[in-house]
Amino acid sequence: MHVSTVERSRPRQPLTRRQRLSRADVRYSPYLYVAPFFVLFALVGLFPLLYTFVVSLNDWNLLTGPGEWVGLANFQRELTDPLFWNSIFNTFSIFLLSSIPQLIAAVAIAAVLDTNLRAKSFWRLSIIVPYVVTPVAVALIFSNVFGEKYGLVNNALQYFGADPIMWKTETLPSHLAIASMVNWRWTGYNALILLAAMQAVPRDLYESAAIDGAGAVRRFRSITIPSIRPTMIFVIITATIGGLQIFTEPKLFNASSSVPGGPQRQYQTTVLYLWDLAFNRQQFGRAAAVAWILFLLIVAIGLINFQISRTISTSATKKSRQTKRKAVA
Amino acid sequence: MKIRRTRTAATIAAAAACALVLSSCSSGATPSDTPTGDTATTGAAPMEDVTLTVTTFGTMGLDELYKQYETDNPNITINATNIDTGGNALIDWQTKQAAGAGLPDVQAVEEGWLSKVMQVSDSFTDLRDHGANDIKDRWVPWKVDQATDADSRIIGYGTDIGPQGICFNGTLLKEAGLAEDREGFAALLGGENATWEKFFEVGRQYKEKTGKAWYDQSGFLWNSMVNQLPEGYYKADGTLNVKDNQALKDNWLLLADAAKDGLSSNQSQWDWGGGKAFVDGSFATFVCPAWMLGIVKGQVEAGGGDATSGWDFADVYPGGAANWGGTFLTVPTTSKHPEEAAKLAAWLSDTPQEVAAFQAAGTFPSVLDAQSDPGVTGANELSKFFNDSPLGEILGKRAQGVEAQYKGVDDSVIQEQVFGPSIQELDSGKADGPTSWDNAMKLLDTVVS
Repeated sequence: MHVSTVERSRPRQPLTRRQRLSRADVRYSPYLYVAPFFVLFALVGLFPLLYTFVVSLNDWNLLTGPGEWVGLANFQRELTDPLFWNSIFNTFSIFLLSSIPQLIAAVAIAAVLDTNLRAKSFWRLSIIVPYVVTPVAVALIFSNVFGEKYGLVNNALQYFGADPIMWKTETLPSHLAIASMVNWRWTGYNALILLAAMQAVPRDLYESAAIDGAGAVRRFRSITIPSIRPTMIFVIITATIGGLQIFTEPKLFNASSSVPGGPQRQYQTTVLYLWDLAFNRQQFGRAAAVAWILFLLIVAIGLINFQISRTISTSATKKSRQTKRKAVA
Repeated sequence: MKIRRTRTAATIAAAAACALVLSSCSSGATPSDTPTGDTATTGAAPMEDVTLTVTTFGTMGLDELYKQYETDNPNITINATNIDTGGNALIDWQTKQAAGAGLPDVQAVEEGWLSKVMQVSDSFTDLRDHGANDIKDRWVPWKVDQATDADSRIIGYGTDIGPQGICFNGTLLKEAGLAEDREGFAALLGGENATWEKFFEVGRQYKEKTGKAWYDQSGFLWNSMVNQLPEGYYKADGTLNVKDNQALKDNWLLLADAAKDGLSSNQSQWDWGGGKAFVDGSFATFVCPAWMLGIVKGQVEAGGGDATSGWDFADVYPGGAANWGGTFLTVPTTSKHPEEAAKLAAWLSDTPQEVAAFQAAGTFPSVLDAQSDPGVTGANELSKFFNDSPLGEILGKRAQGVEAQYKGVDDSVIQEQVFGPSIQELDSGKADGPTSWDNAMKLLDTVVS
């Protein structure tokens, strides 16, 4: 301290080494502190992304390595390949079958947990338990439960005289079965996030609404739902990203199937198709092209989600302003 | 957001690496990619300390042998990695081969992925440089043919093979009034001249009497039918041989008729209801390469059965001799100690070691002297399970007359992805023979091009 006052009194004096070091420290150190993330991101995020693009422009065989430069031919080939579109259909079908019921159930569970329950922590912990189990274990168990000949579900159906359902060889049943795995794992997780959002809603809003004579359902619809909208959007976006990249569940649902994703590719999702292309069919270039198409698709859907969420949040603030004005009046 | 992103990234990376089963995540992903060559730089001293890395898969019965080799050769240390299944070992090998790093000194290779290996056969050491020609008479000749690439380089030493016989359930056959002993059963299928027609004919008799299926599912039968042809999905010159392959189509229609008549139990292969299908009388016969015998025993036991469940093994195979599977020990060219690695591979595939491996893991030897060794032909746990069937003796006979068929680049892809879906259509009754064949041809255009 004392040294610096002395030096400040002599401004023209060139800076000492120590001072220059100290100045550099102030100026550059923050970048160093954040650098590890960006270095890591460049290494394991950006580089693979760009390299994948380079691979996708080649006729690249997994084993024999890069072949000819083919430009965008791999993209063209994939966009006209029926198996690629089949995988896109499967992905979206499983995504919709899982996300929609999942969100509805998560909101309902969160709403129940938001009330004054006994043993709150116990209930909250129990709904997150499925999330702790690894997806591989979940897939193996569900695969057994949905076995066509010896599975629990079909045994129960037959016990009640119904026909067994071909869970692993027909399209809709297999999608439902896989969606149920996803739901089992993610409903509780989403419910907890929504619960956190619900708890942030000011309680006095509910009280005044109750005094005004609003019932529980009305309070839920008019107060809870609008208040948790931003969180809902967050949950939807993450569910979209996860849902479009689904792999483990369909891969292990019928692990012994000679074609990954069902004998007639009934539940071969896009990532599974990509994996099959790269590692079974050795079409590394085409697999890279599929990876990029999927990446662009997810970015596009992310942007749409973002747009929707912006519209909603602005309309939500407008509304809240209106209510405030009303309250003032 | 973060959690979800981690999950998806981990899913793709991890699941790709350890595709099939839980345990592979721990065993499959550990690369043994650091052959410690601390003395490698000091030049080729006669007793140089060498560490050899070995990657195997499944149950190959080699663990005890490594110790013995280390005792006999004090300068050698063996670092062994065993991957749980052949499928995961393939992914492991492919990834390292593609990356050009991390391959071990001795790599076990499965017959099923030999067509892929042969694409890059020049990245494996030619074992003729290390004395393969002097010892190649020890194996059944077709095993050496399989491991020989287009330039006549020998890239692998054979360990086990999978000569095929038929497993059958004597109890079920007795109930149907058919021959229940293995000689009688073999004679029923035509003995030495057994054909698939005869096999299905007896199956129809069985179906008529009991109303039950004859075999578990059509996939394994189709495997054999294709392998028994002189030329399968490819001609010997390497050109695709599917669409105009009349022999192939005839076999397909034969199989389709059998499935249409309900001879197939339409089981999920490799699952069989957790083994229940083996004990509840779902089917009476089963395609059994040597290594399948242990699997059958495991399935029966998992399904709650035991030696009294009636399974037996007969010295007969429809359509002549056939082989399915088997393993080779190879030396990737990335090995820093090819000489020592080749020596270890040669030792591991010598008679006493193959007998020991058979006794430890039931892998049937490809070495002729080992096949006739009392340690292989004698009774053991497995033969007791199969109604005291002389397994070693039968398998030795079943190994004669097999021919190494030329396998093209996409052989396994055609098997699994082109005909696999159509097999399932046949078994589940979704399509008849000609339709399912046409479907397969359409897939061929999409998948292999």
